[in-house]
Amino acid sequence: MPKCIIDGREVEFTPGQNLVEVAKKVGIQIPFFCYHPGLTVVAQCRMCAVEIEKMPKLQTACSTPAADGMVVKTRSEKVIQAQKATMEFLLINHPLDCPVCDKAGECDLQDFSFKYGDAYSRYTEEKRTYLDLDMGPVIKKNMNRCIHCTRCIRFGTEVAGIHEMVAVRRGNSTEITTVDGRPLETDYAGNYADLCPTGSLTLKDFRFKKRVWFLKRTSTICEGCARGCNMTIHQDNNVIYRCTPRENMEVNKYWLCDEGRFNFRYVNEESRVTVPMARGEVDWDAALAAARNALSGKKVAVLVGSDLTQEEAQLLLQFVPRHLGEAPLYHFGTPGIRSPQDDMPADRILKRKSKTANLHGLEKLGLKGFEALPSGTQAVLLVRGGRARLPELKGVVTVGVGVFRADEAQGFAAVLPGASFAEKDGTIVNFEGREQHLRRAINPPGQSKLLSEILMVWANSKGGTHV
Amino acid sequence: MAEIQTEQNETLFIQHFREESRPLGYYLREMAGYTALKKAFGMSSDEIIGEMKKSNLRGRGGAGFPTGMKWGFIPKQSAKPKYLVCNADESEPGTFKDRDIMRYTPHVLIEGMVIGGFAIGAHSGYIYIRGEYVREAKLLNDAIDEAYAKGYLGKNILGSGFDFDLTVHRGAGAYICGEETALLNSLEGKRGEPRVKPPFPAISGAFAGPTIVNNVETLAAVPFIINKGGDWFAKLGRLEKSGGTRLIGVSGHVKKPGLYELPSGGITLRQLIYDHCGGVLGDKKLKAVIPGGSSAPVLTADEIDVVYDIDPMMKIGSMLGSAAVMVVSEEMCVVRLLIRITKFYAHESCGQCTPCREGTRWMEDVLERIEHGSGREQDLNLLLDIADNINGKTLCALGDAAAGPVMSFVKKFRADFEAHIRSGKCPNA
Repeated sequence: MPKCIIDGREVEFTPGQNLVEVAKKVGIQIPFFCYHPGLTVVAQCRMCAVEIEKMPKLQTACSTPAADGMVVKTRSEKVIQAQKATMEFLLINHPLDCPVCDKAGECDLQDFSFKYGDAYSRYTEEKRTYLDLDMGPVIKKNMNRCIHCTRCIRFGTEVAGIHEMVAVRRGNSTEITTVDGRPLETDYAGNYADLCPTGSLTLKDFRFKKRVWFLKRTSTICEGCARGCNMTIHQDNNVIYRCTPRENMEVNKYWLCDEGRFNFRYVNEESRVTVPMARGEVDWDAALAAARNALSGKKVAVLVGSDLTQEEAQLLLQFVPRHLGEAPLYHFGTPGIRSPQDDMPADRILKRKSKTANLHGLEKLGLKGFEALPSGTQAVLLVRGGRARLPELKGVVTVGVGVFRADEAQGFAAVLPGASFAEKDGTIVNFEGREQHLRRAINPPGQSKLLSEILMVWANSKGGTHV
Repeated sequence: MAEIQTEQNETLFIQHFREESRPLGYYLREMAGYTALKKAFGMSSDEIIGEMKKSNLRGRGGAGFPTGMKWGFIPKQSAKPKYLVCNADESEPGTFKDRDIMRYTPHVLIEGMVIGGFAIGAHSGYIYIRGEYVREAKLLNDAIDEAYAKGYLGKNILGSGFDFDLTVHRGAGAYICGEETALLNSLEGKRGEPRVKPPFPAISGAFAGPTIVNNVETLAAVPFIINKGGDWFAKLGRLEKSGGTRLIGVSGHVKKPGLYELPSGGITLRQLIYDHCGGVLGDKKLKAVIPGGSSAPVLTADEIDVVYDIDPMMKIGSMLGSAAVMVVSEEMCVVRLLIRITKFYAHESCGQCTPCREGTRWMEDVLERIEHGSGREQDLNLLLDIADNINGKTLCALGDAAAGPVMSFVKKFRADFEAHIRSGKCPNA
């Protein structure tokens, strides 16, 4: 493997790797704004300038591939001066009001200003300002905070496949905006906020809800479709505030679609049933009794949401024969998507047609997709994680276990409130057969319980016998 | 200072800069038109590039890169089509040489491009002409039509089996599109912004194919080199490594402004101003000379005994650039002059890279403040600092073009700037 020397340390690299990435391997941070490993390199912000032996001018690390024997300095006097200069240039027109900016605490501009900039500015002229622009429901734009890194423009054209973010006018008056000021169209718009290194593009859904330093992060998987994008749940005090993509080059690279990003909203929703129900709020014992009664002596079918984990499905596969006799099990989740063959790409980026995360896993366990109830079925046990679309069931008694909205559970004989994807650990299998793990970020709300607990109580409680 | 012997100078272009020269008939009759092309078709690509190297022709756009060497960078084999692009975006303030080539002798450019295309293996050529050259664009298109009609362009040119198509593409008025990679972006229909280099255009240029971008005057020299040989062309120049003649545009406070054609390195700046251009207008004292287009660092009246060519100019910290000399007499306020120059580069900055986008405007603002009476003592050092933070740190050469004048004016005419700051106005006003 070829080697180069960065700040006196020998580093091995793969040919083609740029200096930012190579330096990262040995823990040397080269600051940058416009560079992003998932986008083309434009070397515009000039923040990553480094000194390379035998080159008279500073070079931008993002656009310079490492070469064998190259000697690089990232903290020389010349580099430090250039970093100071770039920070000064970037801040002369940027508002210095971090305390009221929602990006504060996770802002590259703020962090690098602190680390590489000067504490005071020599700029005494008037700051440049722009008019506001409404960019639709996902993103709030504040052009005055923009540092023209053009990551958003490149994300649109290179990843989302839509040239909706553009630079208009030029020079000092350059404005980053949408084509003709139209609202954003991509359903990957949330990534614009993730990519923005300043508070110029923020999520309408999240801004001013919570200071970022209060948020606790849990690495988990999105349950929005069969891809299983890697993501992070940000919560505080058992409330989820946002989800952000987590890098996995083999699954979702750096991105997350809006549907997946905002899927968590139902978890905190007020209409979610979080107390046991049996035609009204009851305690767990009464609800369990009602559930058993509802199914007792009837011809039962069990519908398993493909939003459940492998572990949950396996529990059901053991539980049902013991406690519900011959009842057949089917999986359900997305109308029209009954088998892995139906689960095609839903766009050219990430989305799959199966709008639940574990269709492929349940098939592996031998469950078949639900088409219609066997004739003569009198009662249904409906188990779901919260995202699977409920099938239309007519003329049967229904018992629901898991996450339901009050309106969904209206006609149910009993509801045993369960845990959503954010409230449990477990395995899901994506469309490529990749096993990934959900991690518990928050506790199940109210009196909700994990499926394992519910089934255990059901099995052990009095009267928990065969049909 | 070295006295240079001025012999009877041979000129290539300037005697033809008349309306009568334009038609193809004149070109064929008086300028041995398209005979070089016939000769080139009998040569190999390497032989043509070899002659170009021998000629010591250096790019006439401003950077002065050896043309033969540039052509040699084009890979022989390429999966993608190759392109030859003529940079006719002549926009550097003070420059007006390419205009006359296109206006009066368009066929010499066309012939040069066909030979260039043949040498590098390109079958498509573009002339990217600045939008303001409305008339020249039309004249070029007329000449191209003539060339197509006579078989100098198109399929199987002169029975050689070589195809070459030539298209005139008009710019939309941005100075930055004279930067070769911004030009290519603009040509492709994208925003006119310079690209990161490498890759250089010779490897990945227009439409990602190997591309040579040459200035009008550079390409127009090609037929002469092929016809009379690289050695002959090299000897037209008076210095080593700088062949041919040079079109020099002189403007400002001289008695005889205009376009001159002189041997490369054949005269000093003083000889140009006083012998050829008749001296400073109204016999005033010379204050300053901007020697190579407005981006060239300014020279004082004491610095003009320099041989006017690429290397000597670089040696004294300025540049020959596009060979556009602007002469400034003592009556001109250098502060106002610098504001005007700085405003231009701030206005023409594309805005993609930080130092240029933010710094050019900042310098303009500070200079405006000085001009309008609110200058401060520390402003001059601030200006030098900003310029230094731009210089050499931008994505393309526009940053240097903006910083060079500020650094040179403030350093060389500091007293004038200080006087403005002290008195709150122009002392001469």
